[in-house]
Amino acid sequence: MRVVVPMKAVPDLVEEIELTPDETGIDREYLKFVLSEWDAQALEEALLVKDATGAEVVAVGLAGDPDIDQALYTALAKGADSAIKITGGQDGVLLTGDRAALFAGYLTGEPADLVITGVQAADDMDGQLPPMLAARLGLPHVSVVVQIMAGEGTVTVRQEFAGGILHELQVSMPAVIGVQAARQAPRYAPISKIRQAMQAGGLHEVAAAPAAAGPAPVVRRMYQPQQADHAEMLTGSADEVAAAIADLLRARGLVKG
Amino acid sequence: MNGNVLVLAEHTGKQISEGTYELIGAARPLAAALGGVVEVALLGPRDLAGQLGGAALIACMEHPALTEYLPEAYEQALLAVLNERAPRLLLMSNATAGLDLGGAMAVRWQAPVAAYVIDLAVEGGTVVATAQILGGKILAELELAGERGIATVIGGIFPAAAGQVEASQGEPGPDLVDVAPPAGLDELRMTLRQVVEPQGGDVDITAADLLVSVGRGIESSDNLEIVAELADALGVPLSASRPVVDAGWLPKTRQVGKSGLKVKPKAYLAFGISGAPEHLEGMRGAELIIACNTDPGAPIFSVAHYGTTVDLFDLVPALTERLG
Amino acid sequence: MAIRILAASAIVAAGLAFAAWRLLWLARLVRSGAPAPGRLTGLPSRLGAELVEVVGQRKLLKRWQSGLPHALVFWGFNILLLTIVEAVGDTFVSKKFAIPLIGHAGVLGFIEDLFTVIVLGGLIVFSLTRVADSPARRGKKSRFYGSHTRAAWITLALIATVMITLLGYRAAQVNTGDFPYGSAAFASRGVARLFQPLGVSANAGLETFFLLANVAVIMGFLVFVTYSKHLHVLLAPLNIAFSRRPRALGALGELPATPAAGSSGQLDLLSWKQRLDTLTCTECGRCQAACPAWNSSQPLSPKLLIMDLRDALMSQGDRPAVGPQAGSSPATPVPDVISQDVLWSCTTCGACVEQCPVDIEHVDTIVTLRRQLVDDGRIEPAIQQVLQGDAQQGNSFGKSGRMRARWTRQLGFTIKDARREPVHYLWFVGDFASFDERLQALTQRLAHILRDAQVDFGLLFDDEHDDGNDVRRIGEEGLFQMLVEHNMAAFEKASFEEIFTTDPHSFNTLRNEYPAHGLDKPVLHYSQLLERLLGDGSIPVQPLGLRVTYHDPCYLARHNRLIDPPRQVLRSLGCDLVEMPRHGLNTFCCGAGGGRIWMTEGERDSERPSENRIREAVALGVDHFVVACPKDFVMYSDAVKTTGNTERIAVIDLIQLVERARSSPAPALEAV
Repeated sequence: MRVVVPMKAVPDLVEEIELTPDETGIDREYLKFVLSEWDAQALEEALLVKDATGAEVVAVGLAGDPDIDQALYTALAKGADSAIKITGGQDGVLLTGDRAALFAGYLTGEPADLVITGVQAADDMDGQLPPMLAARLGLPHVSVVVQIMAGEGTVTVRQEFAGGILHELQVSMPAVIGVQAARQAPRYAPISKIRQAMQAGGLHEVAAAPAAAGPAPVVRRMYQPQQADHAEMLTGSADEVAAAIADLLRARGLVKG
Repeated sequence: MNGNVLVLAEHTGKQISEGTYELIGAARPLAAALGGVVEVALLGPRDLAGQLGGAALIACMEHPALTEYLPEAYEQALLAVLNERAPRLLLMSNATAGLDLGGAMAVRWQAPVAAYVIDLAVEGGTVVATAQILGGKILAELELAGERGIATVIGGIFPAAAGQVEASQGEPGPDLVDVAPPAGLDELRMTLRQVVEPQGGDVDITAADLLVSVGRGIESSDNLEIVAELADALGVPLSASRPVVDAGWLPKTRQVGKSGLKVKPKAYLAFGISGAPEHLEGMRGAELIIACNTDPGAPIFSVAHYGTTVDLFDLVPALTERLG
Repeated sequence: MAIRILAASAIVAAGLAFAAWRLLWLARLVRSGAPAPGRLTGLPSRLGAELVEVVGQRKLLKRWQSGLPHALVFWGFNILLLTIVEAVGDTFVSKKFAIPLIGHAGVLGFIEDLFTVIVLGGLIVFSLTRVADSPARRGKKSRFYGSHTRAAWITLALIATVMITLLGYRAAQVNTGDFPYGSAAFASRGVARLFQPLGVSANAGLETFFLLANVAVIMGFLVFVTYSKHLHVLLAPLNIAFSRRPRALGALGELPATPAAGSSGQLDLLSWKQRLDTLTCTECGRCQAACPAWNSSQPLSPKLLIMDLRDALMSQGDRPAVGPQAGSSPATPVPDVISQDVLWSCTTCGACVEQCPVDIEHVDTIVTLRRQLVDDGRIEPAIQQVLQGDAQQGNSFGKSGRMRARWTRQLGFTIKDARREPVHYLWFVGDFASFDERLQALTQRLAHILRDAQVDFGLLFDDEHDDGNDVRRIGEEGLFQMLVEHNMAAFEKASFEEIFTTDPHSFNTLRNEYPAHGLDKPVLHYSQLLERLLGDGSIPVQPLGLRVTYHDPCYLARHNRLIDPPRQVLRSLGCDLVEMPRHGLNTFCCGAGGGRIWMTEGERDSERPSENRIREAVALGVDHFVVACPKDFVMYSDAVKTTGNTERIAVIDLIQLVERARSSPAPALEAV
């Protein structure tokens, strides 16, 4: 069974994000990029499927994503069988529509039984990859999945809804799955193993198959939210603040006295 | 080309979700500006149409495959409705259904889609959606130019009341139109095997008037008892943000937030919660929000009514003593 | 006579054969361990260690109540080897056998008798110790909890029997006229009077009986030694000879490489020296008693860890660890000898290493096993996040690396950039002092103090990365290498004469581990810099007159023997220092080291080490608890709150004391 894990690099959210002068994009110059956290979960779930069934896991990234090599080598260090970098697309982090076109092009040439990727990314304002990819490939898809059990010709997945309700679905393969969280926290890849993977080489480059992206929204401008509202701050000692809070609650009849 | 806005209704089989009303309420001014009306796509039990008084028209489709939500079934059905009703704008919630369908509709219905939408407007005939990305740090204004567009909207931002309008006496209610189920609904490649309810259904935090909520600032499961004492003293349940539940310190039924439960208590006390957008989605509707966090820049303070940077380890015992 | 010779020969031959066979087997166990380089270098210091630690019993005497009796028994044991030589001579040569040169000088007889009595007295003290500190009664509080107490009693009984049969033999000799020593041999002569009424021929029989019994018990004891924890009598001198000199603290030793295949068991990781360590353990429990983890009901006891490794080693024996069977699917991992819980409990404070009388290197072994856990990815998500953030942004706080020098913005003056202009002192601030909000205020105050004292110092700003000390001790060696490479590149681009740091953990690795990567500048802890500045008058101060106690940071005092500079600072500030019982080299860890500060706390049914320490301080009646480490500041400030002592004692850093002493009139100490 062949499992493909498309991956995306996004800005490290601990950083302060700055905008380009024309305010339609993010200034990437000093930003560090990391693997999207949902893709890390997807990779983990894919590796768990591999542990259970012996499937082949292929991690795929786009050459235009900053620092994507690091993520691909880390995937190899964690146990992925191979890592592919798709070249020829535009530089910089692309809109989901363009990404879906590139990944779909690759998958049309090298079909997978299961495409497992993160349900979303922190910056996919023009929609999420799994449904777009599936629609392009004409495959069934399920997103917000927290468990994948592969069987013969079908997968059983658990789809999560608000409040912790789960739907268990059986889906015929090939299929595209958008992972919300893996069954367990992503395994750790020690730096020594990542460095070994880097030294061993093993990143294959594949040229992008041309494909048109569909209609996409146009970014008019980006900005940092101004906090219009702010809480009225209570100051003083813990006792004083506790007294103020108690008063607030009493005024609303929520506590006795 | 009409100026209609089509809202995809979400329901539990018996009840239309609050999110649907939020979407209907948001859709009305947009439809007016676009010169159209608000339509609702109701996939599944037709009798729920009675709960949708706020729409001008309800496009219904009934089929055995639509009794429960199923991604592929809803995708086929919704596409059929879109092709028949040809709205200008499709609105869905940014919850599970939106995450399944937004991107799929974009490709199959050939329309640009804006996700994580917190604001919508029509400017010069163009729909402009504001998307909240990168953990809430950046807002992006997106133009959905062209004949059609899709927006998946974050829950809890638009007021539900605006969509819960009842038809006045004597006025006709919404039109009901039946859309024929497409053939694809009989050739689905997935089935629903079972629905799994979460465990630990001891307490329903959505029913509480007052909630004491903890976040990562509590630092360890040991320290939970400090806050649990306060909750006990007040006679109310303890709730939590996602990190606390993920760490296993409280069951999933206590989780407040986008992938947890949405609560609207009279008062919400947040201790050690930073206020990530996903959490805010679950509690911003509370009447009184008091937040305690040592970081004065914590996003929770933007939705809280009152806040303090006093250490929760000092404040909570003081509160327990006072209120116990 | 012939029967005597035959019997004795048989006993000795059998005893030696059994012992030798067992020792050869143990030697094979040890030699099959991984290589341990550098164990024969520095012969003079190794010989010195033999003299001081073995002959001189130095580490044992640190706790004189058990150390002194042991020293006496040990010296007695060695001196009484002479009587064994005499016994062998008596059996196989002649009854008139005398050790060459010494002969039968009366003083020898006295010394032999004296030490026989001393040994017996020592055995009584040992017995009383074991009764008073019995694990049956005191449970985990006893240092003997987990030790093989039955083997201990057998050992005491055997030694006693050796002494008694020796005395019996000599006493009988007095009565048969074969005893070569005069009246100075008081004990032999005293016991002889008891035997005298039995008559000469009975005494001759007793002489033979006690002699053979003595030989038999000695041989039996020898064999027993090779099968029990008392093996230390043979192995301790060896283990001490091969130990890290001057001590296994500060830098980590050269640990065995983790094998590439992930399915080796923990035992296969151990070097021959680590294996020898486990066989040498005397089960004395001094390490266990000093361990902050054990003292706060964590599952780690250094003693039990070493004993468990030894037991596993012995039962595995010559068989290789269960590994992949040829042709089978993914190898089943070998079950752990030491569980993850135990390994992650360690703070690497080194109290165990400091206490151990036979120089076992517990911390090195724990880190070796941790490396395998990290390699296999068996670390809790909280630590993973810290490590991933560290790899990504160069700090253990999960914050953007560009925020590192934010604290410099509110200073009101600019600190020199050591990357752009030469400075005398490079200030390596460290993660905690840079990123923790409570500590940034202290860091800012130090900057002011240094500027007012006209010290020429600069920073690397956001080119400074995590020093890696605790990353290394968590076991992520690859990440440590990466951090060192980055920091060394930054050092090379900058221009400075000396480095000082606010963090003892940074101090430890910069001073002890970075030189191997090219750092050749002196490294100071800020207490040493303050000592210098106060000493030469660069910071004029008024005496504070405060009554304080001072907590020695583990990485300053124990790992690096830096005990006096902070005390000198306190003296210069006119503070009255009241020492806690556990101070200096015996300081009690706050619990944050070894990556513990990054771990999520589990259930806790006893107090934390930091709380235990605050109680120790409060009992002294001082109102200030002085610290010289940012993690100590954080840990103890929290502990003061959680033990409800906020009214009784305040945690302050040396920096705050200096600040208060230098302005006049002295303002109230501001809360940080």
